[in-house]
Amino acid sequence: MKKTSRQLQKEQTKELLIKTAFKLFSERGFLSTRISDIAGAAGVSHGTVFVHFPSLDALMAEVIEVYVGKIAQRTHELADSGKTLREVLCAHLNGIQEYEPFYTALVTENRQLPPPARDAWVTLQSVISLHFSRAVQRETEAGKIIPIPTSLLFNMWLGLVHHYLANTDLFAPGGKVIERYGETLIDNYLKLLASKGAE
Amino acid sequence: MKTCIACGMPMTKPSDYPMEDESKDYCIYCARPDGSMQSYPEKLEGTVWFLIRTQGIDEQAARELAVRTLARLPAWKEQTL
Repeated sequence: MKKTSRQLQKEQTKELLIKTAFKLFSERGFLSTRISDIAGAAGVSHGTVFVHFPSLDALMAEVIEVYVGKIAQRTHELADSGKTLREVLCAHLNGIQEYEPFYTALVTENRQLPPPARDAWVTLQSVISLHFSRAVQRETEAGKIIPIPTSLLFNMWLGLVHHYLANTDLFAPGGKVIERYGETLIDNYLKLLASKGAE
Repeated sequence: MKTCIACGMPMTKPSDYPMEDESKDYCIYCARPDGSMQSYPEKLEGTVWFLIRTQGIDEQAARELAVRTLARLPAWKEQTL
C-alpha cells in the first residue's frame, strides 16, 4: 500500500531525529545530551521528539541499535575477507574508524546506558570476537602464535584499543586515535603473540 | 542483503548460508549439520558458550545476555524461557 505524505513526513522526521542524535552523541557523549538539544539541532519542537520516542532512553537505544548495526555490518564485511589475524585486526580498526567519535562515546559510557543499549554494545563485540576467534584458532594450529585462551587474547586486544580511545585527550588531542596509532597497536600486539620461530 | 533471523548475522555470500542455500533465512551458524535450523534451546546454549569462549563473560551474565539478545530476533520473539 502506498504511504501517505503524512506517513512519509513522519518517517523523515524520525530519521532526522536519529541522525541528529547520532551527531550530538558523537560530539558530546550520551549522558550530556538532552532531548531539548536534539530537538533544537533538528529544528523541531520538544514535543515532536516525544511523538516518535517515549523517552530519551528509547531514542538513545534506537540510535545505538541503528549505528552499532552499521559498525557491526561494516566490520563483518571487512573481516569476512580477512584470513589472517592481522587482517581481522585491521578490519576491526577500520570498522571503528568510520564512526570513531560515536564508538569512543560508547567505550566511555556504555556501563551507564540503558540495558538495550548495553546489549547492542556486547552484540557488536560478538561480531568481532567471531572473526577474531576463527583467525586465532587458525594461527594457533599453524604454530604462528603462542597458545593463550581466545577470550584472554580478545580482551587484551580490546583493552588496548579501548584504553587509547577512552583517553583520546591524552593520546591524540583533537585528532584521531585509530589513524595515529592503529598500525602501531596491531604490529606490537602481534609481536607479543608470535611464536618463537614463526615468521 | 539478508540478516539471519536467528542470530542477526549479516549474510553476504553463499558460504554464510547452510549448504550455500541462499533461500534460507538463517545462517550457517544457526543450522544443524543437516541444514535445518537449530531449536531455541540449542541456539541459546550455543550463544552462551560462544560468549564464554570468545569474550570470557561469566556464565550467568552470558546466559542473561543471550536470552535478552535472542528475544529481539525474529525467530525467537515468541520464546519465553
